Amino acid sequence: MPAATASGGGARAEEAAASSSSAPSCVGMRPEELAARLAAAGGPGAAAGDGGGAGGEEGEQERVLALREIKNQIIGNRTKKLLYLRLGAVPAVVAALAEPGASPAALVQAAAAAGSFACGVDDGARAVLDAGAAGHLTRLLAHPDEKVVDACARALRMIYQSKQAPKFDVNNEKNMDFLLSLLDSKNENVTELAANIISHSCDSNTEQLALCGAGVPQKLVGLFGGSMNLRDACLDSMTAIIRDNCDVASRFASMDHGKYFRSIVGLIHDRSPRTRLLSCLCLIALGHASPCHFPDRQIKTKLILVLLELIEEPGNVGDEAPLALTTLIKDSVELQKQAFSTNAVVKLSNHLLANSLETRRAVTILFALAELCSKQEESRSQLMSGQVSTLILDALKHDCADIRVAACSCLKNISRSSKVLSAGRISCDTVIAPLVQLLYDSSTSVQIAALGAICNIAVNLTPRKSVLLHSGVVSQLVNLSKSMDPTLRLKSVWALRNIMFLLNPKDKDFILKELTVSTLSSLICDSEHFVQEQTLALVQNLLDGHVDSVNYVIAEDGMVLNAISRQLNSASAPGVCVQGMLVLANMAAGDELNKEAVMDVIVPHQADRIKSSFVVNFLQSKDKQLRVATLWCILNLIYPKCDTSSTRVTRLQNVGVISQVKGMMNDPCLDCKNTRQRLAKEKLGKGALHRDVCREP
Amino acid sequence: MPVRVVDTATPSSQPSSGQDTNAVQPTPPSCSLLTAGRCFAGTQNVSSLQKDEAWKVNVRIHGCDLEQGYLCGTMEALNVPLADTPVVTFWEGEIVDAKNYTFFTGKWEASPEDDVRHWSKFPSFTPLLSQVEIDGGKSVDLSNYPYIFMRWKEQYFVNVGVDCGLTIAGFYYVCFSCSDGSISGFYYDPNSSPFQKLELKCTNEKQSGFTFSSYELQ
Amino acid sequence: MNPFVWRRGKAEKLLSLPVLEECFCACRQLPASMASSKKVVTRDEWERKLRDVKIRKEDMNRLVMNFLVTEGFVDAADKFRIESGTQPDIDLATITDRMEVKKAVQSGNVQEAIEKINDLNPTILDTNPQLYFHLQQQKLIELIRVGKINEALEFAQEELAPRGEENQAFLEEIEKTVALLVFEDVKNCPYGELLDVSQRLKTASEVNAAILTSQSHEKDPKLPSLLKMLIWTQNQLHEKAAYPRISNFSTAALEDPAI
Repeated sequence: MPAATASGGGARAEEAAASSSSAPSCVGMRPEELAARLAAAGGPGAAAGDGGGAGGEEGEQERVLALREIKNQIIGNRTKKLLYLRLGAVPAVVAALAEPGASPAALVQAAAAAGSFACGVDDGARAVLDAGAAGHLTRLLAHPDEKVVDACARALRMIYQSKQAPKFDVNNEKNMDFLLSLLDSKNENVTELAANIISHSCDSNTEQLALCGAGVPQKLVGLFGGSMNLRDACLDSMTAIIRDNCDVASRFASMDHGKYFRSIVGLIHDRSPRTRLLSCLCLIALGHASPCHFPDRQIKTKLILVLLELIEEPGNVGDEAPLALTTLIKDSVELQKQAFSTNAVVKLSNHLLANSLETRRAVTILFALAELCSKQEESRSQLMSGQVSTLILDALKHDCADIRVAACSCLKNISRSSKVLSAGRISCDTVIAPLVQLLYDSSTSVQIAALGAICNIAVNLTPRKSVLLHSGVVSQLVNLSKSMDPTLRLKSVWALRNIMFLLNPKDKDFILKELTVSTLSSLICDSEHFVQEQTLALVQNLLDGHVDSVNYVIAEDGMVLNAISRQLNSASAPGVCVQGMLVLANMAAGDELNKEAVMDVIVPHQADRIKSSFVVNFLQSKDKQLRVATLWCILNLIYPKCDTSSTRVTRLQNVGVISQVKGMMNDPCLDCKNTRQRLAKEKLGKGALHRDVCREP
Repeated sequence: MPVRVVDTATPSSQPSSGQDTNAVQPTPPSCSLLTAGRCFAGTQNVSSLQKDEAWKVNVRIHGCDLEQGYLCGTMEALNVPLADTPVVTFWEGEIVDAKNYTFFTGKWEASPEDDVRHWSKFPSFTPLLSQVEIDGGKSVDLSNYPYIFMRWKEQYFVNVGVDCGLTIAGFYYVCFSCSDGSISGFYYDPNSSPFQKLELKCTNEKQSGFTFSSYELQ
Repeated sequence: MNPFVWRRGKAEKLLSLPVLEECFCACRQLPASMASSKKVVTRDEWERKLRDVKIRKEDMNRLVMNFLVTEGFVDAADKFRIESGTQPDIDLATITDRMEVKKAVQSGNVQEAIEKINDLNPTILDTNPQLYFHLQQQKLIELIRVGKINEALEFAQEELAPRGEENQAFLEEIEKTVALLVFEDVKNCPYGELLDVSQRLKTASEVNAAILTSQSHEKDPKLPSLLKMLIWTQNQLHEKAAYPRISNFSTAALEDPAI
């Protein structure tokens, strides 16, 4: 039962609350009591009271004080929020919002409390939403008292920033009208709320288009003249509307002769670092969504410079600036070159060297450095030759998984260059051991990142390659090739393929012994076609230069060969077929037995009817690599000229392969043409070639 | 088989399924015979005024990056009089593709006149001569040309010391024929006898057919 | 990248103090020279150059107003506005609220400060965990200061410990503060500086900055940054030349160059 309060009947609730040291009010009350008091104060019971104004007012005052006290206890305090949640305070708080005769003071406190419950605590947000707060708060945005509007707008912002935020369907006309009315408000809390809602309602293209069509971008730009926080929120919303939507982006860029576009460009030089960052992000989104509307290289160079400057800023802005840079230059040779010429590698490296690796900023900088090396040879050289290369190696052993991933990314991109690998600039010895360690890492993303780096380093084009094999990498790669995770399987097989390239026979045998023929066959029939492809390429590398290795392919009743045959006969992805044909080509370069084995795959013996061969389909494929690979296989089958090869020619003729080859003399691909000509020369002899030549235009 | 250099956007994303080698840029045609792993065998004529001499030479291509116009590999010279064993060197190549490199060397003590003089020794170069004399061939479209021009420069000895009596100070002007995989080249070194000729053919390396292998970068 | 060059871009937007401007120009013109061959600039030369640099009075006034308003000297700002005609870039009415909060912290009434902030803008403490923690820490310090040990212990357990659970970064600070409870002579114990007024001022300044940021204002006044720049520039120039320095920043008197 609520105790009598000592506050005077006529005193305004706020004043009583303000002089908290004198009023006994609710300060210092235990949460359980407070929650109970609030629950009791609310509802029709309290309002009825003594039937007189005084009783109602006192009850209202009590409620205000209770709400205020709860609010003050929970703001910033996760533990208290959870406690009050358990005590069931939320419905009572929201009930205060719903109360038709509620005083502005109560509404302000209740709104603040509701917003606070939703802030940073998922259960709180859900409870607030379940109690129907969103509806009440929205309704109260039209309240005559400005303070109530402020409080409700802030509370709704909190709600919309949480993961539990309700879906605001902008495709609904009423909703859109409401949103537009919010944008037109004079109250900055309200317009900021509108911006927040927009940022969270742009999940699909249709929503983005709807917002664009309703004139929202223009309104947002119009709000740039407001306060810094509002402007930042609007920039964020703009980015959300534009992101990945070519239509919206091009429309926006050409709106009013580019006036709106220019206003965003202007903001990249704003005084506030956060505004600069957000406007850069907006322009980056614009550039990615609609590249043709953004050919201006000058702006992109400016963006690079602005972002490099922002890296010096303290706090969240400086942490995120490198990430923005990464997004900007991603996959773009031109921009990476631009960035390199503005000394980005050096600047980022210096920053990394000057500060601790413990920070988020170190992670984003490492990723930016990795991206700078993604397609730029000069960046790679610069990164490798600097002090920072030692730092990257150290980072491989860092406690934080993100740092390990970022460091692996750097190494992967540095070694993504035949030039770098052949020059032996990456000292295999120092790099391999820590990378192999990471293959055992507890985090899958670290393992994947390490595999990426190993994949590239494993190519190791210098004539000396055995350091790699002494590191124990093979056994772990074989392990990972049996993982449940398809990405781990793919990348480990990929690494093995690269290791196998031009490896000496003894080491190839060593790898196969670890891998085993049965694992090999199951990988060829893996559920992921990328894995199939890499495995077949691995077999290809195995066979090349190691004559005896064909034994692995035909071992155990031809397990591997059968798997290959199965893949080639089913409608496999073109990449798989290409690699499969090259494996067969390599086999067909062997002795008679091998050539016959290949023939049995291509032209299986059928007692009565002639089955068409998949080879004919391959020769008609749109994929020129597949046509070339198939031609080589056939060429190897009929070479060198002898009795048995003539038999094979006949067999191939019977299934229409030879005529298909003949018909390819005008193949658009030069390589195909050359190969086909070679084939014709082999098979048909000089006379036939002459005939072919005459036939050619 | 052309080598594919495939980019992955993030560590966990899938690779793109094969590069579009029919891209617009003027790179030489991808040719199955000029790829990583490929072997060539032939001779280098090292005749001087005193005597006729030819070394047996084996070349293997180790790496090939058409995007950057880059090649590398090893060269093995047999029956070299001054050495007990075959001498192996590691070389790096520049592909003349009008994008990364032009016909003008611009280094290694080779003047444009030297360049033209050497390239002109290849019959396949004649149609391009007039263009090259103007601007090094920057505007020549080599994408459909059935020959690939390169420069090969040996970088270091793999299995012998630098005092083996051989020099790798110069470089080769190289012409590769896409149709039959044959290679001819001329060694250029201001301090050696001029126009030492390299002639190689694609070999099967004792196999009854052509074999393929490849690597792929992430 | 030379850090000074970057900041100059910002300063140019407002103004440069004459000396600052001069130092910068001088620095740029002089080559990196060896110690023995420093260029000497006489007092007359220097003063003449200073006179040549034109700074607008309005800009100086704006600097002063910016300082008064950011630090919260409402009355002074109002008087200055009347005298100089300079418009404050913050609504003076909002300053009063902010100042009450700041004063509450400075006088050690932390609970009052918290309630006032929450009345002003309830999202500030919810989105500034570090500030909230520092306020709670200050509350504990105040309890210890007046000797309410039992209350302090209870508070530490109920309020501070959960902060440490929610965020490990605060544990070290919590340990330091709680350690104060162990000592009889708190003022002279290892972490005694927490009881200094300076700690209150630090917290107050943090609160001030957070409120300013929530109101979309820049939290740092420009004047102190300019002074820091002046010191830095003088040091830079000192390596290349002998010139009249300012050592006493209250009088801004030029000293004759040491040769």
